[in-house]
Amino acid sequence: MSSLQRDFDWARIGALRLRARHIAEGVYAGSHRSVRRGAGIEFGGHRPYLPGDDLRWLDRHALMRHGRLLIREFETETDRTVCVLMDASASMGFQSTGAPAPKLAFAALLAAALFRIALVGGDAVVLDWLGGRNVKGIGPVAGRDAFERVATALEEAEAGERALLDDAAVDRACARLWRAARRGSIILLFSDLLDLPASALERVTGLAGDRRLVVVVRVLDPIEKEFPFEGPIQLRALEGNALIETDASSARAEYLENLEAIAQRWRDRLLVRGGQLVDVTTRDDAFAAVLRIMATVRGDVR
Amino acid sequence: MTFLVTAALSIALLIALPIIAHLLRRGRVRQEPFPPAALVPVARPVAPRRGRLEDRALLSIRALTIVAVAALGATPLVRCSRLSLARSGGASVALAVVLDDSLSMRARLPDGETRFSRAHRAARELLDSARSGDAIALVLAGRPARLALSATTDLDAVERALEQIAPSDRSGELVAAAKLAEASLRALPHADKRVVVLSDLAAEPLPPLAVRLWTPVPELRQSIHDCGIAEAERHGKSVTAHVACTAAEAARGRELVLVEAGTKQPAPAAAKVLSKTPLPQSRGEHTLELEVGGAADVLEVRLSGSDAIDSDDWAAVATQSAGLRVGVVADPSTASVSTGGATVVEQAIAALNLGVGVQPLPLVPDDPKEFRELGALVLDDPVGLTPESRTALLEWLERGGVALAFLGPSSERVPLGSSLLPFADGGVTWQKTNVPGADVKSFGWLGQSASGLASIAPKGRILLETARPKDAKVVARFDDGRPMLLERRLGKGLVWTFALPVSVDQSDLALRPGFLALLAELVESAERRAGSSRSVAGEPWVFSDGDVVIEGPEGRLELEERTLPDADADVKEFVAVPAVHGRYRLTSNGAERSRIATIEAEEILAMPRDTSNAAAPDGEDEPTPWTDTSSELAMVLIGLVALELLVRLWGRFGPRGRRARPVGA
Repeated sequence: MSSLQRDFDWARIGALRLRARHIAEGVYAGSHRSVRRGAGIEFGGHRPYLPGDDLRWLDRHALMRHGRLLIREFETETDRTVCVLMDASASMGFQSTGAPAPKLAFAALLAAALFRIALVGGDAVVLDWLGGRNVKGIGPVAGRDAFERVATALEEAEAGERALLDDAAVDRACARLWRAARRGSIILLFSDLLDLPASALERVTGLAGDRRLVVVVRVLDPIEKEFPFEGPIQLRALEGNALIETDASSARAEYLENLEAIAQRWRDRLLVRGGQLVDVTTRDDAFAAVLRIMATVRGDVR
Repeated sequence: MTFLVTAALSIALLIALPIIAHLLRRGRVRQEPFPPAALVPVARPVAPRRGRLEDRALLSIRALTIVAVAALGATPLVRCSRLSLARSGGASVALAVVLDDSLSMRARLPDGETRFSRAHRAARELLDSARSGDAIALVLAGRPARLALSATTDLDAVERALEQIAPSDRSGELVAAAKLAEASLRALPHADKRVVVLSDLAAEPLPPLAVRLWTPVPELRQSIHDCGIAEAERHGKSVTAHVACTAAEAARGRELVLVEAGTKQPAPAAAKVLSKTPLPQSRGEHTLELEVGGAADVLEVRLSGSDAIDSDDWAAVATQSAGLRVGVVADPSTASVSTGGATVVEQAIAALNLGVGVQPLPLVPDDPKEFRELGALVLDDPVGLTPESRTALLEWLERGGVALAFLGPSSERVPLGSSLLPFADGGVTWQKTNVPGADVKSFGWLGQSASGLASIAPKGRILLETARPKDAKVVARFDDGRPMLLERRLGKGLVWTFALPVSVDQSDLALRPGFLALLAELVESAERRAGSSRSVAGEPWVFSDGDVVIEGPEGRLELEERTLPDADADVKEFVAVPAVHGRYRLTSNGAERSRIATIEAEEILAMPRDTSNAAAPDGEDEPTPWTDTSSELAMVLIGLVALELLVRLWGRFGPRGRRARPVGA
């Protein structure tokens, strides 16, 4: 078993149920509430009778008690495909001194946990990549063997690419996801949002149509989040060989402002398309992070 | 390799060591990988700048410390160019600083600084080296030599007085200044008394003094080349200028130019040129004449080119008619000597050579306009004044005229309608007498020349006691105590009444030097009141009232009020001293007139003297300007060490010492 799997409490994650906020249509009857009402297992409420309704669902008790024709409705359970788009650009391989893991490893851990939950619930999963080396797209797959496949793919991936991510690479990845994600799917982007091309915002949020939910998980290293430097310093970017010399004390406020501006752009755009942004750092508790992501998917956090 | 070279190399090595240490110590900026580097604004790092400054400060402090140590060790070898007071045994010093503010001190030295500026700086340096207990007096050597500040131990007062001293166009009076300086120290208890002469010594040789004489700034005595205009006067259609040159080289290629002058002095370079003439190529004083080719009233002469002293290269042109004139009313038949010629009074005034004009008058003018050109009026044996003449005379006297009447036998016979007012009240009596002459003591104000008046052997005299006006006072008496000379003040004017006529037939008065002294006093009094139109810079102008406004080349001239000597306490006079040459406009009671301050040609021609301080007392050397700076150096050294400690503490406990690191690092 890889270190990724050893370090994670799979049993704890497995007790959870991934419940999507949106009711998805699916081939399989799962634990997700379906938008299709009528025949099903769980009572979904009443509605006034309309001519042509199936009389089997006429509520006789309500007719006798209130004298009104009401139709009983039921919700059907359906499965939801969980699609993960993993950013494996060079910046995702960064790990500062004292940080528990590189950003890519932490993101892979979260993705694997979510895959596990989805697969246990009977949902299919899809894995695709932005940049990276030794990357392998998977899916949609389901069943017991599927987890091993996605976990292996996550373990083998390395951050970095010969060239910077460009619009074409983003387009290709989004097109693959578009084909794989059916209505009601959950699309998760794990990225630090730092080295993505300008078109990534529109492309990724564009996937949210047709009842698909897009959640962006921004993974940052603690020093990227806090900028704890003091005094004169030279900062070297991992991509583009940019070298910035600055006075950290005076630059901190503006840096944090710029960082928040990126998040806010994604947040605003996602909000329009019904999506969400989740901020995590590699120092966060992975279990709590998964819960936050799931709560976001459920719609508990807006 | 000499000891000095070895020492210098050692010091250089000592200075180089901290520099090397500094370079080795200087750290580099940290470099950190940081993916979102593009989001970090590029800022000028404050901290390294502070660090560099701090390090440089430390480096400078250490280098200065080493230099200070080296200088401290070499103090006995250091000769400081600053003047300072060398003390014998640390005792206090009484110092009289003679600062020459004469024209020759305006000369520029080869380095561009003027002699006066250098002398003034030297005086400041001496003042800076003075300590508590030292007494300093300031004496100015421009004519008249004067005490700018009596000897005082208040060094702040000396500094203030020194700041107020400015160069002037006066002549030099160095001998008198040196004696004045010596006298100013006489009463002081200090054992070490010195007279410091800060001058070019372009005057008479310094006299031997009882105290140490010190001429510490030899560069002031460098010779210069200068041409200057002493004075210029207009005579009708021509202007006569007196030009003096110290050497032929100074006059080479230069011209005397007559220009129209305006309100600004000297006139601007673009002023209209009326005529010009080349300067004679020789040393000495030259009188040059220029034609006035225009109708301009206000003229100025200037020298083309430049020399060591710029301020004497121009001069305002005085008009001859504006000079003081003395009117003389005398009967030539009785007031002349037997050999003929002008009257005795006229000849006497001309003999005085005071530069005043004499205007013989047949009668006392009865038109006030005729009085305007007169500064003084002398009447010899007048037969009385008509009412018109008296009115005009009184009006002139009120404005500041000075009149002297020698009453004689004719004065006894005043015609009807006339009187002797304001000289005598009512009629006077001529009386024969055997009195030998005047009471010399009562004529003491005339000086030594009054002694001859004791034996003038008058044949008769006017009895003034009966005709004495109430406000007149007796200023001189006959030997028997009767009044001989009355003095009366009328407005701004002065009236003298003498009890004898000038005629040599009546007494020997006109043959005595006291007579000339009396006329000179008259002219001086008249000049004081009317003011001479031309005087030498530095010569005071005296006014009887303080409402005179004087505008000169350097702005308004302030009047100084003082009490007249030997006069009533309530009689004041006001003195203004034109220290620079040029035209001065005097405004009083709405009337405006001008006066010209000139330069003495001798001051231009005076050459610096090379003195080896022969005037110093035997057995005493001139004090040397050596400075013992060991105590100051030691203090500097201690200060530098303390400063380094502070900088180090700042480096350790200041913001730089608490520089934060990245989290987890």
